[in-house]
Amino acid sequence: MMTNLFLGNLKYWLYGLTLLGGVSVAQWRGVSFASINEHQVAPKSVRDNPGAYRSHYSTYTRYSGGK
Amino acid sequence: MKARAIECPNCGGSVELRGYSHSLSAVCIQCLSIIDTSKPELTILKQFQESQRVRPIIPLGSRGRFDGKLYEIIGMQERQILVDSTTYSWQEYLLFNPYAGFRYLSVYRGHWNFIEPAKGYPEPTTGIGRPNLLYLGQKFSHFQTAEAETSFAMGEFPWRVEVGQKVTVKDYIAPPRLLSEEVTADEVTYSVGTYQTGEEIAKAFGLATPLPAAQGVFANQPAPASNLGSAWLTGGLLIAGLMFLIVFMAAVARKEVVFDQRFHYSSADPESARVTDVFELKGRTSNVEIASETNLANDWMYLDMSLINAESGQAWDFGREVSYYTGSDSDGRWTEGNAKDRVVIPRVPSGKYYLRLDPDMSNDGGSHAVTYSLKVTRDVPTYWLMWLALPLLLIPPIWRTIARGSFETQRWAESDYVSSTSSSSDDD
Repeated sequence: MMTNLFLGNLKYWLYGLTLLGGVSVAQWRGVSFASINEHQVAPKSVRDNPGAYRSHYSTYTRYSGGK
Repeated sequence: MKARAIECPNCGGSVELRGYSHSLSAVCIQCLSIIDTSKPELTILKQFQESQRVRPIIPLGSRGRFDGKLYEIIGMQERQILVDSTTYSWQEYLLFNPYAGFRYLSVYRGHWNFIEPAKGYPEPTTGIGRPNLLYLGQKFSHFQTAEAETSFAMGEFPWRVEVGQKVTVKDYIAPPRLLSEEVTADEVTYSVGTYQTGEEIAKAFGLATPLPAAQGVFANQPAPASNLGSAWLTGGLLIAGLMFLIVFMAAVARKEVVFDQRFHYSSADPESARVTDVFELKGRTSNVEIASETNLANDWMYLDMSLINAESGQAWDFGREVSYYTGSDSDGRWTEGNAKDRVVIPRVPSGKYYLRLDPDMSNDGGSHAVTYSLKVTRDVPTYWLMWLALPLLLIPPIWRTIARGSFETQRWAESDYVSSTSSSSDDD
């Protein structure tokens, strides 16, 4: 019965196991769709002068709507 | 099998008889006279009009193998039914093997059935909305009742062929089988058909050219997605595997808190940006969660943050707005936003890191202040990807179920139960 279950849905098993493998690897590697800007160089002087560092998000302007 | 030939009493043409003494009538292929072959006198019973002539898809005399036995086509008749002022016609081929007897092949719009006499007497059984028959332990659902009329015949037959010969046919289905009940004034006969594709028929007869393709869905045509039950069972097993992965990933995640500190910010501060102490992220490359908790009330703050590797300078920049408002109006109490926030930074290698923080609050001229805490946790389980996989895993059985439903709708659209879309066919 298990053989029939596997062979009769071979493509489905391949699809499902590939999907599970993919999400496992992604989960293991810590994949996230959060809005993060990754770059290689932050100047060493950041620790001495944090205000001089301009990150990608430092030009934020807020929408002031609301209830 | 050696054929015996007689001379047509009407046109003198040669009429071959392959059914030995079983043949009670034969149709002359030249002049279409129906000849009574049961008596030596060979009287003419009737004659088809030339305009009624139908060309058989498979020629008479062709031999095909079914169930390991060789049968020869010795006759062909076209029958028709009238449904809602529309005439539907199909061909029935009479097959003969001197040891196995007679069998039939029917074809309607490219759908074939190999038909044998029923081996027992079907019994009526209970059904929802339609009559059912129980035959050899299998339930057949009523599909259609119609009055079939012979419109043309050629070859020989073990009965007296008559033009306009009528019989009430009740078809019951259990795909790929079809149980037909034929009722005349004198008798009730049952036969069982098994659905055959054109390819199977062509192979059985060794035909070089392919037979016409099937059109539409036939009454006892097997559904293409016939292994629906096992598809859902497979889906269930894969989801069980997904659940196991979720539990496993949650169990093996480090969930190590590497930094936890409280800060205060006021819009009056001359310098808002600051850096934290260095903390260490251990283990394999994995995610980092930064959770913030504030005491905001009817206010907002924007926290511009960077996670910076103290050794390489590699930085992850991100900004988070936290706002929380509450009040009451005519609808009652309301809240908007959340005083807490959480962000997960993906794929961060191990190493020594610190955070650069640059908070901001409203610059409306008033005084705004907030106390907030930041907690950095290494390798936290995230479930969104797993939950995303859940519907993706179910696409195949859902698609097959929809395809099956559509197929059954087409099948039953040709029946006496047009409004019904349910099927009597069993999975697997």
